[in-house]
Amino acid sequence: MPQFESTFFSSLIFWEVISFGILLFVLYKYAFPGILSALEEREKKIKDSLDQAEQHRSEAERQLKEYEAKLSAVGKEAEAILAAAKERAQRLLDENEQRLTAEAERIKGDAAREIEQERRKALQDIRTHTTELALMVAEKVVQRSLTEADQRRFADEALEALSKSHSR
Amino acid sequence: MEESPLHQFELHHWIPLSIGGVDISINKAVIFMWIVIAVAAVLMIMAGSSRKLVPGKLQSLAEMMVEFIRNMILDTMGKDGMRFFPFVATLFLFILFSNYIGLIPGTYTVTSQIVVTAVFSFFVYGVSLVIGFWLHGVKYFGILVPPGTPGWLVPLMIPIEIISQIARPVSLAVRLFANMTAGHVMIAVLSGLTISGGLLIGWLPLVVSIGVYLLEFLLIAFIQAYIFTILTCVYLGDAFHLHGHEEQAH
Repeated sequence: MPQFESTFFSSLIFWEVISFGILLFVLYKYAFPGILSALEEREKKIKDSLDQAEQHRSEAERQLKEYEAKLSAVGKEAEAILAAAKERAQRLLDENEQRLTAEAERIKGDAAREIEQERRKALQDIRTHTTELALMVAEKVVQRSLTEADQRRFADEALEALSKSHSR
Repeated sequence: MEESPLHQFELHHWIPLSIGGVDISINKAVIFMWIVIAVAAVLMIMAGSSRKLVPGKLQSLAEMMVEFIRNMILDTMGKDGMRFFPFVATLFLFILFSNYIGLIPGTYTVTSQIVVTAVFSFFVYGVSLVIGFWLHGVKYFGILVPPGTPGWLVPLMIPIEIISQIARPVSLAVRLFANMTAGHVMIAVLSGLTISGGLLIGWLPLVVSIGVYLLEFLLIAFIQAYIFTILTCVYLGDAFHLHGHEEQAH
């Protein structure tokens, strides 16, 4: 076989080493860095894009959760406000009622007291008038010059009548 | 007169040259080495200089090859192996372009020279030995005893493993050389038959030769470059991770 003719070995080995060396140098210097960096750049870009997408997704999820939480908080707040308003209205109503009742009670009490007072006053008046009347009667009796016994009897009778009318 | 199917591999001193008594004459194979490195360098530099985020055809192809080699290295040697990326990639491209350019009629297949493939394979094997002893010292002799070998088998295993170690560079060189030579011989033989068979029967070897050519073009040229490169990675990887100890440690 022609490939085993050793006459060409030395030149083939020499030129192979030289050619390979040149190719290695040229590719190492001018081709591989570009291709490898392009590959790495693309890989990085893809990875970054994926990372970013993931980040956006989690951000969106977080926001959704936040909104949901806010929404439910708002709902709760509205409920609380409503409940508070209801409670307040009820309280106002109760208060009003209580106040009115108390007022009515007070008015009633006042009236009763007034009546009582008037009654006392009237009694007092009656008593005063009666005494005056009795004195007047007594005077008249005295003026008619009754006997002492008569005077006493009249006075007794008058007092008795007074106390009777008073006790009634 | 019938031409020998081996005629295509013959070389002639085209430009006689010598350094210190060593013959370095220029012949057809040398010329095609130059063509191979020129084509490979130009294509790769063009591909490497565009550096677009969305690559064109050439850039895609170059990136595919680079990625392919990178994965080969990462699978067999791990991240440390990327130091050998320029060497391994250049080796792959040199062999690949040699195989493909050799398939163009009238050219010369550089890798059909046993001495060319042998230089590569022995260099690769030599580098693996250097790395092995550099990293592991005397313990690298442990490569002759596969892990898990029972003690009484060791005297038997060592000679077998020595043979297997010697077979590595030899088989690496012979595989590529033999595949390239056989393919080209077959095409030459079938083409010869086509001519000598004449119109009546000549079409049959023609069809078969076209089939063989397509096989060579679509599969063998690439696969042989791939096999040579992956075995290079495997041998270098063995030197890196003696018995995979380091891999387990990771």
